[in-house]
Amino acid sequence: MSRAAPLLPREDAREAALFFVVCALCFLAAFSGLVARAAYAAADAWTSEVAGEITIRVRGPEAHAQRAIDIIAKTPGIASAHVLTREESEELLKPWLGAAGIPAGLQLPRLIAAEGAAGAGDAVAAALAQANIDATVDDHETWAADAKRATDTIGLVALSAVILLGATGVAVIAFATHATLLARRDIVELLHLSGAKDDFIAGLFERRFLMLGVQAGALGALLAFGAAAFILFAVRQADEQAWLLPQLSLSLADGLILGLSPLVAGAASMLAANVTVKRSLSDMV
Amino acid sequence: MPDNDLPTDEPVLRLDRVGLSYGPESDVLADVSLSLRPGSMTFLTGPSGAGKSTLLRLAYLALRPTAGRISLFGVDTTRLRRRDLAPLRRRIGVVFQEFRLLEHLSAYDNVALPLRIMGRQESSYRQDVADLLGWVGLGDRLDARPATLSGGEKQRVAIARAVVGKPDLLIADEPTGNVDEEMGDRLYRLFRELNRRLKTTVLIATHDLALVRRAKTDVLRLADGMVVRVPHAEPQDAQP
Repeated sequence: MSRAAPLLPREDAREAALFFVVCALCFLAAFSGLVARAAYAAADAWTSEVAGEITIRVRGPEAHAQRAIDIIAKTPGIASAHVLTREESEELLKPWLGAAGIPAGLQLPRLIAAEGAAGAGDAVAAALAQANIDATVDDHETWAADAKRATDTIGLVALSAVILLGATGVAVIAFATHATLLARRDIVELLHLSGAKDDFIAGLFERRFLMLGVQAGALGALLAFGAAAFILFAVRQADEQAWLLPQLSLSLADGLILGLSPLVAGAASMLAANVTVKRSLSDMV
Repeated sequence: MPDNDLPTDEPVLRLDRVGLSYGPESDVLADVSLSLRPGSMTFLTGPSGAGKSTLLRLAYLALRPTAGRISLFGVDTTRLRRRDLAPLRRRIGVVFQEFRLLEHLSAYDNVALPLRIMGRQESSYRQDVADLLGWVGLGDRLDARPATLSGGEKQRVAIARAVVGKPDLLIADEPTGNVDEEMGDRLYRLFRELNRRLKTTVLIATHDLALVRRAKTDVLRLADGMVVRVPHAEPQDAQP
């Protein structure tokens, strides 16, 4: 029969409340982390989608389009180029004009789609200008830069939220530890007067709060994953343009965010308990 | 046997002109000097409010004096760093006036507490703790929580906890205050046996005049912030 009972009483209502708070903070932190990660991933996806693609709109007579494609194909850095067919142009305009298509008599701009290395767009524009062909060259770099700036901002906000929630979590745990310590001052004093070292006493609280932090963190991370998955699923069901949304996956980065949340919560809880207990003990002789 | 590594003539506890005050006009103890030789058994008496409990708190290192010097086991504690006091505390067993039992622990676990703090494995002390609780008449209450024990039973658990580590110095604050005369004598014999068999130095603060008279041992009287040694025959006014 093992009789060695825990020196601290089993958890009480205060710790149940703390569990809930840490769980909620971890949920918000993990959710923000997933959003930040997804925002960065989306930015990468959007920019890589258009990277190297160049769209040239040629104005003037039909012959200019054919001359333009010859010039573009010979421009250094260009891998391929072709004039968009009417069907391809209709497909591009479908989101704005609908599935009914384009009226038969409507003139469409003459568009050339090219693929090439980064910076090839400038060379194409220079070559067409030299040949006196009136054309607009768009290598999507401005759009990609704007998109990246926007997602960077979202990511930064989410990261700030994670840091703020982490700091709040540590403060809340420190406060709760202090309250627990006050409630258990009789035990702490008795242990102290019986010759227990500060590390021994702090260790009791550290272990208690480590377990609380890990368990609450794990539950919070699980809920964050569930919430993110549900939101994306719901949006995808409702919107055809959902491909534009950040992609939630169980990538290594997502796994790290979810896996680290309980560990960070546990470590923060343990650290807060250690500092609080030792500071309180230092007031004793 | 306790690890009494003192030279035979070195006092276990020595207070030199010790004072404790909480402000310029509030001296709790003014100028207290006393010395306990190894293996001695001493009663500390005095009127209520004289500062007996405060003196004991100074002795078991719960307080630091504001004047004077306290030596324990030959070590000047006033010069020690805070962290170096813990090993000294482990050599002292304390019976607190208000018991200070942990309510969530059984009688067995309360008694075993000092041994756990010392880092002993449960298997190494299980039988000792059970035997000790049997010795104080609580052999059938090992699993009882303090809330289910009477005042006298709590007192005996507190005493068992104080002596389980075979301390070099045992300090007891009113250890017979909550028990009847018969139990008081029994507890006194327990202290006496510990004192004689293990050479533990014992300091007991008490109001129990009858006990002091029966004991026929050293008596110190604390009054007006000073301590005086009292002849065995006349323990004076250990008033309730």
